[in-house]
Amino acid sequence: MLSQQGYTVLLLARPRDNAAPEERIKALFDWLGTDGIPSCVQIVPGDLNCSDLGLSSADYHLLASRVDEIIHCASDTSFSERKRSQIEKANFENLHHLLGFAAKSRCCFFHFISTAYAAGKRRGVCPEALVDTRSFFNVYEETKHRAEKSAAEYCGREGIRLNIYRPSIVYGNSRTGKTLRFNAMYYPVKILVFLKNLYLTKNGEQSREGAEKMGISFGPGGTIHMPLRIEAAASGGINLIPVNFFTAAFSAIMETALDGDVFHITNDKPKPVSDIIHYTQKFFTITGIQAVQTKDFQSSSQNRLEMLFNRYTQVYRQYMQDERIFDNTKAAAILDRKGISCPDFDYSIFSTCMQYAEAVNWGNPS
Amino acid sequence: MNPLEQIPEDIRRTAARCRHYAMCKIDYLDTGLCPPAKKTPYVSYFPQGRMDLCDALAKELIPVTGAAVDIISSCTLCGSCDRQCHFVTGMRPMKIMQALKAFLDAFQEKGEKAAVIPEDELLKALKNIVGHKWATNDPAHLLAYANDPFPLADRQIPGYVVLPGSAQELVEIVRFADKAHIPAVVRGNGGSVFGFVFTPGIVIDVNRMKKIHLDPDNWSAVIEPGVTSFELQKAAAEKGYRVNTAEPAATVCGNIVCTGLFSTWANVYGVGADHIVDMTFVDRHGTVFTANDKNAPNVFGFEEAVLESPGICTEARIRMHPVTDDEEGLLVPFTTLADAVSFARDISRRRIGLSVGILGGHYLSTFISPTQSLANQTRDVFSSILEINCVVSVIGDRYARSSIRQMVPCVIDSSTFRMFTLGLPQLVRSDLADIVEGLESDRPAYETVLSAEMLPVLEEMLAPSSGTLAAAVDEDLRDFYEALYNRPHMTDMVWLTMFRIVSARMSRHKHMFAFLIYVPLEPMDVIQELITSFAEIAEDHGIEHDLGFITPLDLGKRGILEYDYYIDHTDNAESEKIRQAMADIEPMVDKLSRSCKGVTFLKYIFSQGCARKENFLYA
Repeated sequence: MLSQQGYTVLLLARPRDNAAPEERIKALFDWLGTDGIPSCVQIVPGDLNCSDLGLSSADYHLLASRVDEIIHCASDTSFSERKRSQIEKANFENLHHLLGFAAKSRCCFFHFISTAYAAGKRRGVCPEALVDTRSFFNVYEETKHRAEKSAAEYCGREGIRLNIYRPSIVYGNSRTGKTLRFNAMYYPVKILVFLKNLYLTKNGEQSREGAEKMGISFGPGGTIHMPLRIEAAASGGINLIPVNFFTAAFSAIMETALDGDVFHITNDKPKPVSDIIHYTQKFFTITGIQAVQTKDFQSSSQNRLEMLFNRYTQVYRQYMQDERIFDNTKAAAILDRKGISCPDFDYSIFSTCMQYAEAVNWGNPS
Repeated sequence: MNPLEQIPEDIRRTAARCRHYAMCKIDYLDTGLCPPAKKTPYVSYFPQGRMDLCDALAKELIPVTGAAVDIISSCTLCGSCDRQCHFVTGMRPMKIMQALKAFLDAFQEKGEKAAVIPEDELLKALKNIVGHKWATNDPAHLLAYANDPFPLADRQIPGYVVLPGSAQELVEIVRFADKAHIPAVVRGNGGSVFGFVFTPGIVIDVNRMKKIHLDPDNWSAVIEPGVTSFELQKAAAEKGYRVNTAEPAATVCGNIVCTGLFSTWANVYGVGADHIVDMTFVDRHGTVFTANDKNAPNVFGFEEAVLESPGICTEARIRMHPVTDDEEGLLVPFTTLADAVSFARDISRRRIGLSVGILGGHYLSTFISPTQSLANQTRDVFSSILEINCVVSVIGDRYARSSIRQMVPCVIDSSTFRMFTLGLPQLVRSDLADIVEGLESDRPAYETVLSAEMLPVLEEMLAPSSGTLAAAVDEDLRDFYEALYNRPHMTDMVWLTMFRIVSARMSRHKHMFAFLIYVPLEPMDVIQELITSFAEIAEDHGIEHDLGFITPLDLGKRGILEYDYYIDHTDNAESEKIRQAMADIEPMVDKLSRSCKGVTFLKYIFSQGCARKENFLYA
């Protein structure tokens, strides 16, 4: 995307799992299906964990002399409180390492990729602006909120323009289904598919005795019945955007919004949980799953399957019952002009994503 | 004849790797003992001795003697050794037995004659005491008593081996040796790992002295010195009792005298003198005394020094403990050792549970895995996916288990333990990682995976059965393993903790060099400092290492900690590493011992195993 726009991209990357930065980036471009690493991309082996970005003094200054704009897209997206120090380090401390570098470089524009959920716990409209919030659903939201404020203060002080991009929940490419990770939207679906495959093996054998212990039964034509109620909000839904929309929107905003601002890259049509349940049941030939409102959910005790599903998806529950509405007036003004819009997460796109997930065994090569 | 041409390299290598843990000398899998060894219990007739013989012949340390011919010929190739040895070490000694037979056939086909070892006057005198069959100077027998995996002791072939059949014969041998000024040492079961039992003189092997008399009215058992932990535990269990014993193949009397009995049961049954009702010794001059004789040497006292043992124990009366019929085991998982220690200390001081032990990830995974590769994979699953880095293993009655369930978020109870054990090959192949990865929970993953609603799913995933487990071993052993694991006791934590037949698996991949230290359980800093120091020293010397176990003692005020180094005992370079590491370890522990109350290196308790625990825990 950036290369097509004529940028020279200096990609700061660190080694991981015994793979050198070059190997990692090469693997990424291979996965993207490009013909090797584009000539305009130069890999800079470094590490945001270090205040000097893991560079020698000479390299640090050389890099600083070559940078006009910086895109920060390195986050820890974990939600777990017990990983707080790790998440704070990645999302807050390491950002400061890069901001410090920006201040010492000729950088005039800092692009910070945040999240729509930096808005924190609230109902109703979330403005496309920096807001004061003290209540969050998880440490990820909290650290991104703090990072936004900190970046704004720092850039303001240093005279660097700042764009903050706030995507909602990103899934794979809506046209190909391609994705590297199968968390977020995928995870609850993956749990159901896992259970289905556990009791209904590929050669069609059914493990009735084991399934019965979970209240699961089998129907005709390979269908499997899972008596599962999923708690969902009366209104709203899950705000899902495909990665190809995000990259297009990001690129358009970056090119257009030159004064620095905050932009929500979100979907105008949050997807009700009941729709996703419907898609899941249709695609995977499952029956018995239904979305219920909280009062109905609590009116009867949970069965074993519900307890299991809720335990595994607990961390995602607030996003399944989300009543936040993301104002995207400013982003839309740019995207509409460029003819960029977020596709509705319909059954066709769901199918594309799930076909890809199944084809790559949900990211597990074994 | 050149043995190197007759005994293939891989056979020689395997033969040299025998760990001498003596598990082939107890019938712990109901396979039956090696038939010739059952009749003639010299170490040399057991698979351990046969492996030593193969090694010695290959290295041309001894000639082919009359005894060597008899040892090799007597092997029936029944295969018991393969099953027994594979269970704990993963080795297959049958190939060695076959190679020995092939070697002997070639030797005899060439018309060569076995060397005849002449009797000397000393041997004749020993035979006069014990009978012709039970004293020998044949090198094929002697070499089986010449070494162990202790890396800092060289091979020392004794002059004579003698197997007394009674306490009286044993006393006469000691008196004879004293009078003749010949050094004599006693070996329990021929199993030793500390290099203490070698002599150029007489080795007294007590393997014929195996009488056990249970005295339920006095909650005690009277035993001869050849009785092993396994044999005594079995006898006690049949009558509804339990004894606190150590490694199954170790002799009980030898253990008491050497280090004192300790195990995870020491949490309630104590250590040292706690186990002893009375003991009879013969000192080096042949004087017999009992521990309870007020005029006898005080074996209950303790001095922080390396001392000689008070003598050879010829009989011991030790305590038996009652058992209730509702005992079961459970494992309480933890992510951090500090939390595990804190919990173990807490239940110990609240008198909850009987056996209590903190096991590191290596111990847990190795204990339950029938092969080393499965153990390695299991450890990965436990630590990386389930976030279980250690467990507190508890045996308790229903009240104890109920209390523990109220104290912690989740446990691995006896049925879940059975499920994990029998489904282990499926566990390491399962999609569990994929499912757990997305959890993002604020609690460790094991709490979710071990939740009540998940257990039926786990059962489906693991398909636990003896057949599932047996699929992990060599194909020709699968029927045996399947039948073995059909027996309920093989997955019963109470039985496994009493009989400890899986503990020798710790040395499956390499010989384990264990350091044992009595420690205070709080503050945690002392344990942490010890563990860090052991780890750093091992790293400095390039030695594989890991925490072994910690068991609370005396209501959690003290504990015993084992830290293990792992070495290839057949590799001189590894021995040298241990030698150099020891030079760092001893001052480190001694220094800590001086600055922290309750830290005592077990090396100072060697030969003072009868001491009152208060004398070394609180001195």
